[in-house]
Amino acid sequence: MERFGIPVRIVGDFDFYEYGKGVWATRATTIPSVKIETLGIRALRISGSLKPTTAFLRIVGKYASKNVVYLNKSSGLSFLKGSVIQGVCGDMRGYVVVRTENDILGCGMCKEGSLISQIPKKYRPDSSWI
Amino acid sequence: MKIEAYKDIIPDFEEFRRIMATPQPYWMRVNTLKISEKDLIARLENKGFRFERYRDWNAYMIVESPVKHPGATFEHSLGYYYIQDFASMIPPIVLKPRKGERILDMAAAPGSKTTQIAAMVDDSATIVANDIRDDRIRALAGNVERVGATSVIITRGDARAKRFGMTFDRILLDAPCTGEGVVRKTPRKREPDLREHIKFSKMQMRMVENAYRHLKDGGVMVYSTCTYNPLENEHVVQYAVDEVGFVPLQIDIDIPYERGVREWRERSFEGIWDKVIRVYPHRINTGGMFIALLKK
Repeated sequence: MERFGIPVRIVGDFDFYEYGKGVWATRATTIPSVKIETLGIRALRISGSLKPTTAFLRIVGKYASKNVVYLNKSSGLSFLKGSVIQGVCGDMRGYVVVRTENDILGCGMCKEGSLISQIPKKYRPDSSWI
Repeated sequence: MKIEAYKDIIPDFEEFRRIMATPQPYWMRVNTLKISEKDLIARLENKGFRFERYRDWNAYMIVESPVKHPGATFEHSLGYYYIQDFASMIPPIVLKPRKGERILDMAAAPGSKTTQIAAMVDDSATIVANDIRDDRIRALAGNVERVGATSVIITRGDARAKRFGMTFDRILLDAPCTGEGVVRKTPRKREPDLREHIKFSKMQMRMVENAYRHLKDGGVMVYSTCTYNPLENEHVVQYAVDEVGFVPLQIDIDIPYERGVREWRERSFEGIWDKVIRVYPHRINTGGMFIALLKK
């Protein structure tokens, strides 16, 4: 979360556990001593490198002060639909928090000047949505 | 059973039958973990939604929706609200979860009540949410993630026998049931027969026993179903009191409700009928719900 400049006092609200293919963030204070399916919200995916999840950025992303891309409403909608957005990354590279004025949209990746959506398919809007 | 079987236990039965033939409105709850009620309602009203709020509760009946399903919005995808029937919001309100507590939701999927509890404690508790089937766990996990409830730990198991490895301050047992109270929302081809009511009743009793094992001394459990048959309701609560050791408590809640059933087919529910409550769709435009509050 250091990458995004999220203050320690915000991240410190959570306990982090490596479990399965992820690092999970939870505010639960007691972990049952039985097999569990999920432990709070997956904050990072482990697949070679660490990738921040949209779900966790939607919780803490409003506190981000670095590597944040602001989009207008219509670009935000395109981003949510999975489109590549040009001309918004500036000098940024790697994972970024993508937001509009009011909403944290989730995780994106700046690569060679393009913003590539990392929004999971389950969160991508259908054309009938408003 | 056919709905006529309940004409002696449901007050104003003709009005009840009339409302059962009408479609059920959608209700929603604002996810206060992510947005304020005021901000979300203003945003949705700008999109053409119209709401009727229940008193000053975080419970909104959707009276006009610009989309066929009121969950087809970006705000819903961002986790700002949860489509949840009013009746379904009542068991967590009766449970009264508090910050820092250990809370178990024994049959949690798809997660409406689990996420409501998480919002009620401002995501500051240990909430174990259990369900039995993989597809239901996926739905539960999806909703927990969408609303951003990090205090929720999901387990998989049969609520009749699952060992959770800890005890809890509060338990919600929103038990699997024959679902007679949700037919306005989910119409079906036939009514459950007596054998099904008995099958569910036995299963519910086993779940109540397991809940007792996992409750701290002095802890409380809410037992609820969305069905009308006393075999799955008062009969199970009577068993919980007489055979398991629970103590029934009065429910203090400001909604239109009826007391429980005193007698049903030669079974008497003395000692518990006046403590449990029944929510009916002709009293408030929602689904049906039975709720009991029990202490260990």
